[in-house]
Amino acid sequence: MSKVVEISPTTRHEGHSKLVLKVNDAGIIETGNWCSITPVRGVEKLAVGKTPEQVPKIASRVCGICPVAHCLAGIEAMEASIKCEIPKDAQMLRHIVQLGNRAHSIALHNILLLPDYYIPGTEVKINPFTAEEPVRTVAKRIQRIREIGQTICQIAGGEAIHPSNPRIGGMYRNCSAQAKTKMYDLAKEGLTLAHAQSEFMIAVIRNYHNRDFVDVGGKKIPMPKTLGFHNQGYLATHAFYGSSSMDECPSWDINRFKEARPFDWYMGEMEVSLEDGSYPVGGTTKMGTKTNPQMEACTGIPMYDGQPVEVGPRARLVTYKNYDEKGTCGQNIARQMEYQDCFYEMLDCIDALNPAGKVIADYIPDGDGSLGWASNEAPRGTDVHITRVKDWKVQYYSMLVPTTWNFATCSKALTGAPWQLAEVIMRGYDPCVSCATHMIVLDEENKLVAQKLIQ
Amino acid sequence: MSHPEISPPPENKHPETLFTEIVIVGCGNPLFTDDGFGKSVFEEMQKLTLPDNVKIIDAGLGGPHFIFTLLDPEVTKKLVIVDIADFGAKPGSITKLRVEDLPPGSYRDAHSWDLAEPLLRIKDRIDVTIIGCQPARVTAPEFEEGLSEEIQNAIPKTIQVILEMIGVDYGTTIKYLQEEGRQRGTAKSCGSPETS
Repeated sequence: MSKVVEISPTTRHEGHSKLVLKVNDAGIIETGNWCSITPVRGVEKLAVGKTPEQVPKIASRVCGICPVAHCLAGIEAMEASIKCEIPKDAQMLRHIVQLGNRAHSIALHNILLLPDYYIPGTEVKINPFTAEEPVRTVAKRIQRIREIGQTICQIAGGEAIHPSNPRIGGMYRNCSAQAKTKMYDLAKEGLTLAHAQSEFMIAVIRNYHNRDFVDVGGKKIPMPKTLGFHNQGYLATHAFYGSSSMDECPSWDINRFKEARPFDWYMGEMEVSLEDGSYPVGGTTKMGTKTNPQMEACTGIPMYDGQPVEVGPRARLVTYKNYDEKGTCGQNIARQMEYQDCFYEMLDCIDALNPAGKVIADYIPDGDGSLGWASNEAPRGTDVHITRVKDWKVQYYSMLVPTTWNFATCSKALTGAPWQLAEVIMRGYDPCVSCATHMIVLDEENKLVAQKLIQ
Repeated sequence: MSHPEISPPPENKHPETLFTEIVIVGCGNPLFTDDGFGKSVFEEMQKLTLPDNVKIIDAGLGGPHFIFTLLDPEVTKKLVIVDIADFGAKPGSITKLRVEDLPPGSYRDAHSWDLAEPLLRIKDRIDVTIIGCQPARVTAPEFEEGLSEEIQNAIPKTIQVILEMIGVDYGTTIKYLQEEGRQRGTAKSCGSPETS
């Protein structure tokens, strides 16, 4: 008979979420629900009536970890709506900001993953904060990659966390020839470190997934060879950056997207009937506790061609590089493979950047109310912002952020795994939960309710 | 032709240096009304000419991810965090806190790695001070922009305290800021022994 176990809150990721798992007598997940429990906030409502300059700045504040992606997607959605094309050097600067942010993000995620893994050849789990070798060298390398990513982001973007340089129509300032040289030197150093770090991470990831059993809270848990497998498909809009044009990027068609209500997708009210006090950190939810994913989940369920899809590093590699490794193992390895790609691409962009070039469009229209969208390939997946701008005022704004896609896909990928490894599957998506809580709901005619209200 | 409404933001004075000896970080989310205090202090401080060993950063919600877990104690010796804090005082009052004074969970990295607070990891090697301002109104989880009047009025006094802490005599600017604070009626509320 099925039992219900709940892990709340989930750990080692951004934001608040929980896992509600219906498991069989052997503890294998029959149905899994991973849902955000961060309340809906309504940035879309706040944006209406503001200027196109203000809204991307607001959008970049919804999350502590993806401000760069939201800032760039927000600005480019505005530019798509008002039909403004930006100069090439402005585009190069934006690409560099994006890639600096990605390098930092992959390195940060390394720290979050490492405690699950073992030092190769031993039964010792990795503590990324230890002063002991060999982990100390790895930790120092991770920190240096983060510094390099953030410094490059700061030089090209004005500020490292909330970039101040991007603006509607391009960038406020180009960088100096000296700053270009500095970025180039940093990117070259980053590339060398990225090679070493990627090799190390791939070795420990494979070591972990090749084991027959892994330790969770002092218990030996069997490691399935199909951990995290799903058949949901993938969505990516660019190999590393993003797009705002169907001609340029035929893989994202807004007409193939719709969103279901969490009420129609998640499990209904249940009572927790399995409890494990030894599960890290602090045990699972107490037996007898009521849980209701349908009512508690704060995100809608985005569908592409009628089903949830995976976004993120593996989706990009599958779409653009014929990558074919499935499951949590393949997903985490794909992220490490983006390390080098990130720095190679960065070097190309820095090379192409002309510090004397123009970075602001000659003419910035006020907008005629046309629908504009922009996708940005954030570290954790496709971030789509949609808007209408008329007479330099935002009439409609919506954000469809990466982890919103991945909640439903990951939920499907939980099936067949021992429940103790559910968080390992979830961490493979490098979730960022707090910005994933913007709800767009469709009515019976598949029309966006929010859009209908505005029109 | 650029759009007339768009004016450029202040230039980053240290674009090639991530952190300096003294780092001042404005924290919080301006979309939750008074939680935007840290960002507003950052914006005001951008107008000042500060020594080369001082860096001011608008961290937003990213302090743990981008700063507290990345500071190098070999480089950074002093960290000043500016944020709202509920210490039961009148709205707009400010106080200085040490890491030990913070309730459990404050500045816990949202990634919650091993549930330790990142500031606890660095406090013995970096001098960490939190300047907290008592908020009047925080609308989380609903988004709303704009500071309450009392919190807006606390900004000059806060900057004065920071400048004193980092040993910057800003001469007439400090006096100006003090007077501005008094005129707005905040100097008294900031003057109790517990508050600075």
